[in-house]
Amino acid sequence: MAPDIDYLALAPEITLAVTAVVVLLLDLFLPRRQKYWTAIVAVLGVSFAALPLIALAVSDVGDRAMLGGSFVVDDFALVLKGLFVIAGYLVLLMSVGYVESDRYYQGEYYFLLLMSILGSMVLASSRDLITLFIAVELVSQPMYLLAGWRKGDLRSNEASLKYFLLGVLASALLLYGMSFVYGLTGELTFAGIAAEGAGKAGEPAFIMAILFIIAGFGFKVSAVPFHFWAPDTYEGAPTPVAAYLSVSSKAAGFVALLVVLYSAFPDASGVWGPAVWILAALSMTLANLTALRQTNIVRLLAYSSVAQAGFMLVPFAAAATTDAVGLGEAFAATVTYIVIYAFMNLGAFAVVIAGARKTGTGDIEGWGGLGSYAPALGALAAVFFFSLAGIPPLAGWIAKLVMFGAAMGAGSPWMIALAVIAAINAVIALVYYARVVKTIWMDPVPATAPEEEVRTASVAGSLGLAIGLSAAVVVVAGFFPSLVTFFSDATKVLAGG
Amino acid sequence: MNLADYLPIAIMLLLVIVFAGASIGLGNLLGPRRPTPEKLAPYECGIVPELEPSQRFPVKFYLVAMLFVIFDIEIIFLFAWAVRFRELGWFGLAAVGIFTALVIETLGYVWKRGALDWNIPRRARYRLSHDVADEEAA
Repeated sequence: MAPDIDYLALAPEITLAVTAVVVLLLDLFLPRRQKYWTAIVAVLGVSFAALPLIALAVSDVGDRAMLGGSFVVDDFALVLKGLFVIAGYLVLLMSVGYVESDRYYQGEYYFLLLMSILGSMVLASSRDLITLFIAVELVSQPMYLLAGWRKGDLRSNEASLKYFLLGVLASALLLYGMSFVYGLTGELTFAGIAAEGAGKAGEPAFIMAILFIIAGFGFKVSAVPFHFWAPDTYEGAPTPVAAYLSVSSKAAGFVALLVVLYSAFPDASGVWGPAVWILAALSMTLANLTALRQTNIVRLLAYSSVAQAGFMLVPFAAAATTDAVGLGEAFAATVTYIVIYAFMNLGAFAVVIAGARKTGTGDIEGWGGLGSYAPALGALAAVFFFSLAGIPPLAGWIAKLVMFGAAMGAGSPWMIALAVIAAINAVIALVYYARVVKTIWMDPVPATAPEEEVRTASVAGSLGLAIGLSAAVVVVAGFFPSLVTFFSDATKVLAGG
Repeated sequence: MNLADYLPIAIMLLLVIVFAGASIGLGNLLGPRRPTPEKLAPYECGIVPELEPSQRFPVKFYLVAMLFVIFDIEIIFLFAWAVRFRELGWFGLAAVGIFTALVIETLGYVWKRGALDWNIPRRARYRLSHDVADEEAA
C-alpha cells in the first residue's frame, strides 16, 4: 500500500537532495586538486532543480496537494521556490572563488548550502505546523555551521555561537507557541487551524500562542527587538554566507510568517496586526539610526537588512485593518518586496565581496576612490545601494511604492502613521546608502590601499556573473515592474484575494 | 478535550511522588548514620578518586555519542516500518532502503574523515580533518 505521491511536484526537492548527497560523496573521494568538482555539481544541481519548477508552472493540473494537505504545490509555493532556487544559484556563484581561496571543507560547504536551499523549498510548500517547523530548522541548522566556517577566525566562531544560541531560543519560542495552537484547536494543518480557531481570536492563550510564533519568526527575519545576532553574525561569517542569511534565510522566515499568519490565523488579524505594527516601526527606526553610525560595510548592510525587514512587515500590519481584497494586496506587496530585495541585496553583497578583495578591507573609509580604479564595480555598487534606498528608476523604488500602496490602501489612521514612519526612514536610509557611494566615487584613494595590481585585478568570473545577473534584474524590473508583480500577484491565492 | 482522560496520568504522577518521597524520607529517618571519610568521598567504581570530575576530555567521545544517537533514532524509524512490513510492501522497503543508505553515507563520511580512528598520530589527524593543501600549494 503506497501513499499517493506526485513525484513531479516533489521533483525540485528530490533533485536538490540527490545533489547534496552526491556532493558529499564526491568530496570524500576526490583528490584535493579536483575538489572544484563539488562546486560544479552543486551549481548544476540547483540549475536542474529549476526545470521541474518550470514544468509545474506550465502544467494545467492546478494545485497539487499531498500527504493530507501538508505539502501543497500552488502558485505561491512555485513563485517562492523559484526565488529560492535563483537566490541559491547566485550565492553559489559568489561562493566559488571565496571558498577556493580558503582551501578547506569545500565539499561540506556546498553540502550544507544545498541542504539549506532544500529546507527553504520544502518550507514554501508546507501547510502544517510540523512540516513547517522541520523546514525552518532545515534552513537554519546548516547556517549555524556555515557561519562558523572559517574556524581559525575568532569572529567567525563568535558569529556561529551567537546565531546558534539565539536561533535555538527562537525555535523553542516557536515550538511553545505551536504547542498552544495544537492544544487549543486540535489541528495541525493550517486549514484546520483556521476553521477551528475562527471564534477563538479573543482567548488569552490563543493570543499568547500567536505572539510566541511571531517572536520565533521575528528572530529568523531579524526584526527589532530580535535582531541582536544579525550584525555580529554577518560580520564574522564568510561574506557569501552572510549574503545567504540576509536574503534566503530571511525570505524563508517571511514565507513562514506569510503562510502561518494569512492561512492559519486569518480571523485573528486583529491580534497579529498590532504586534507586527510595533515590530515594523521599531525595525525601521532603530536599525536605520544605528546604521548611520556604522564604519564597516558588512555591518552597515546587516543593519540595512534589519531595516528592510521592517519595510517588508508594513503590509502585514495593513492587512489587519482591511477587507479581503486589501488582504490579497497586502500579501502581494510583501512578496513583491521580498523578490526585489533578494536581488538588490545579493548584488550589494557580491559587490562587497569583490570590493573587499580589491581594497583589502571591510572599512568604508578604505573604499575611497574605488570608482577611480574600478569604475564598473563602482557604478554597480551605486546601482545596488541606490536601489536599496529606493531611488527611481531602480527596482527598489517599485518595492517601496507597492509597500506604501498597501499601507495607504488600508486607510486607517494607524496605517497612515506607519506609512509616515516608513517615509521618514526611507530618507534616513538614503543618507547612509549615499555615503557609501560618495566614498567610492568622491573620496581620494587612502594611503593604506593595496598596490596597483591588487586594486586593478579582475573580478572572478563567477562573482562577476552573480553581480551582472542581479544588476540586470534590478535595472530591468525598475522599468518593467510587471516582471515582478506578475509573479507576486499570482501568490495572492494563499491570502484568498 | 475530556479531562477524565488525564485521570490515569494524574494517579501515576501521585504514585511517583509518594513512592520517591517515601523512599528518600524513610531512608533518612530509619537508616543508621555512621560517616567515615571513605564513605563521604565521591563514588567512582570502588577505586579511590584521583582527579576532580570536571575535566577536559577528547572531542572524539562527543562524536561517538552523536553517532550513537543517530543510529538509535534510525532504529526507531525501522521499528515503525517493521511492524507494518507486509502492508507497506515494496514501497516501504524502498523508502526504508533509501533512508538506511543515507544513514550509512553519514557513517562512511565520518569514517573517511578519520573521526573513528582512535589512535592516529596528532599530525596525521590534523591533515585528515583539515584537508589543508598548504604543502601542495607551496
